Amino acid sequence: MGKNLIFTKNEIRFLRELVRLKVDFMIIGLSAAALQKAPVVTQDVDLWFADLADPQLTKALKKVKSIYIAPMGNNPPMFAGDAVKLFDIVTHVHRLGKYAEVKKKAIKIPLDDFKVSVLPLELIIKSKQASGRTKDKLVLPVLKDVLKTIKSEKQ
Amino acid sequence: MRISLEVIKDKCRQQKITLSELLKQAGVSRNAFYTLAREDSVLPKSIRAIAKNLNISPSEFLTEDNQEMEKMKLLLKKVDDIAKKYKKIDRDNIRHTLLLMSEPPIECLRRALTRGQKPHIHQK
Repeated sequence: MGKNLIFTKNEIRFLRELVRLKVDFMIIGLSAAALQKAPVVTQDVDLWFADLADPQLTKALKKVKSIYIAPMGNNPPMFAGDAVKLFDIVTHVHRLGKYAEVKKKAIKIPLDDFKVSVLPLELIIKSKQASGRTKDKLVLPVLKDVLKTIKSEKQ
Repeated sequence: MRISLEVIKDKCRQQKITLSELLKQAGVSRNAFYTLAREDSVLPKSIRAIAKNLNISPSEFLTEDNQEMEKMKLLLKKVDDIAKKYKKIDRDNIRHTLLLMSEPPIECLRRALTRGQKPHIHQK
């Protein structure tokens, strides 16, 4: 198998800094599903933050020579910099409610030498069912099969 | 199919034992060994007859179970069990999930991103 050149030390360093600086965030979407063993394909890592104005987030970005760009017109908030190219900021997740409530249900998954909060598969399915987007509808059968498989393995 | 004396001697050298020591450890007499080594084929007549009638080499239907094969058999057994339990579940989804369950989470994420950045590899 070829060497993985994606999601290397730069991206991991950013997540490590977020955890080290106690920034309140979680990984959601298909990256969260992939971390829970779903055989899915995704182009980015969606991050949901409790507070985008958290000064600790700015510090973490600075550590990896990146910046936060506030929403402008129709453009959502985003990060800029080599280490954060794969990360997208999400500000709302369909049908899941407020961040603080959802965060209580997040699971911790080890990444390298630290752990990150990740939206559980059940809630990823719930949000994708509610979004109504074609690409979400297409991936739903896979996510549901993964959930059944994992539950069967745990029994 | 015959015994390759050269291969056996080479393996003995690699494992730093003599042929005599090997035969002693294996409980095979020198006479029996050299009788076999002189044979044109060490396979039973029935196996050779089957191969001849199929017009193929016996090696095409003789298999050797190995660890990877055992792992895959176990995995496919699990796929069967889960597929029996849930109607309409996709067997490929079960198999891929079970395979990923033995990978660290970071590797699962890398695979998802690598494929996402190279959509052409999914095109048939």
